Amino acid sequence: MVFLTVSCWIRSRGPDRYWKVQEVLKHARLWITRIAAASREHGMKYPALVHNLTKSSVQLNRRVISDLAITEPKSFLSLAKLAQARQQEGLRAALGNGKEPAGVFSRVVLLQ
Amino acid sequence: MSSFSRSAQQWATFARSWFLVDARMQPPGKLATMCSVRLQGKHKPIYHALSDCGDHVVVINTRHIAFSGNKWEQKVYSSHTGYPGGFKQVTAAQLHHKDPTAIVKLAVYGMLPKNLHRRTMMQRLHIFPEDLPDDIRANLTEELPQPREIYRKLSEYTQEEIDAFPKLWTPPEDYKMK
Amino acid sequence: MTSRGTPSRFLQSVLQNGVGRYICQLKRISIIFSKNAQSALGVRDFIEEGVVDYAKKNPSTVVYVSPQSCRIPKIVAEYLNGNVREEIVTNKTSPQISELLTKLTNQSGLDIIRIRKPFHTDNPSIQGQWHPFTNRPPSIGPIKPQKPDVKY
Repeated sequence: MVFLTVSCWIRSRGPDRYWKVQEVLKHARLWITRIAAASREHGMKYPALVHNLTKSSVQLNRRVISDLAITEPKSFLSLAKLAQARQQEGLRAALGNGKEPAGVFSRVVLLQ
Repeated sequence: MSSFSRSAQQWATFARSWFLVDARMQPPGKLATMCSVRLQGKHKPIYHALSDCGDHVVVINTRHIAFSGNKWEQKVYSSHTGYPGGFKQVTAAQLHHKDPTAIVKLAVYGMLPKNLHRRTMMQRLHIFPEDLPDDIRANLTEELPQPREIYRKLSEYTQEEIDAFPKLWTPPEDYKMK
Repeated sequence: MTSRGTPSRFLQSVLQNGVGRYICQLKRISIIFSKNAQSALGVRDFIEEGVVDYAKKNPSTVVYVSPQSCRIPKIVAEYLNGNVREEIVTNKTSPQISELLTKLTNQSGLDIIRIRKPFHTDNPSIQGQWHPFTNRPPSIGPIKPQKPDVKY
């Protein structure tokens, strides 16, 4: 959209992407609450779980994951463990597997 | 699956748990977030706003809660009686002295969603200034970890431990401690 | 025109089909046909060939064969819940009629209307549904307020 004046821009209801996201969230909000509750039981937060599941190319949508958390808790537990393993792997990779770049002394070494 | 075992499954899914929180030396806001999540049932994957799946929360030792900073003196609880000139303001210390459960109660009440379920959820919150009675103790299913670690006060250390503690410098004789 | 105004119901079976065993919901079938009309030719064929087999195969269903002087042959099916369905079988051949009868036999007798949420399972959970104790270590004995462990 093009706004020629400031008042027109103020009267607009915000960016289009925001409202597109709201359309999705209208349905997904309950699923997100449920997945968050279930993943908290296994000691993960919702964003960490979903991010790491997508990283490990698990193509389940939020609705299916929340259904799994209710009806098949053991499958959900294995999903959470997968995400947790992926998270640890990512953290280790980010820390350079305990190795330092040449000439740098950081807390990676101190943490060992 | 027969309908009998399935109804038992249904009861198990919607069973109410009783959580215990020890409020000794804990900030009331952190206690209230834990309590409000449990009271709403948002810690269950079966959560739905209309299905009334909240749990009971028992908070004990609220007489010994801890505020950080100068909140005991500066935090003000306001109310209005409805009569002209009925605007009352008390500090947290005064309110706590009058009713040792009020601060936690108000904190939880403010964190619950503002709808018709709020009073129902508050009825499932049991607050005790000291210890809890036996009939409630019999219901408990789980104790929640405290949100903040309790550290020992200086007065609880023995003199030997204080002397053995490594010091950066020894203050001179005429040094005035604040 | 959307379908929101039409009658609808959730997908269900009658009495969970008797909880454990199947009960045929079709109780009575009347085949009404003319003895000499052209349109009832297939029905007469069916009565020669298949109707006895059908009655033997479905002992819980009563089959009436009533020749009447009518132009339009029809099959009237009455169900356990009181519903009655009439099917016109003009110019249908014998295999078509037997197919129709099988369909009527398998039906539940509920009105055929729009189904909301057309998915259903009698066993929603295989591993056992979530309950508050699924992911909790089993604790023994009543829970007491423990002494908070003091950190240094």
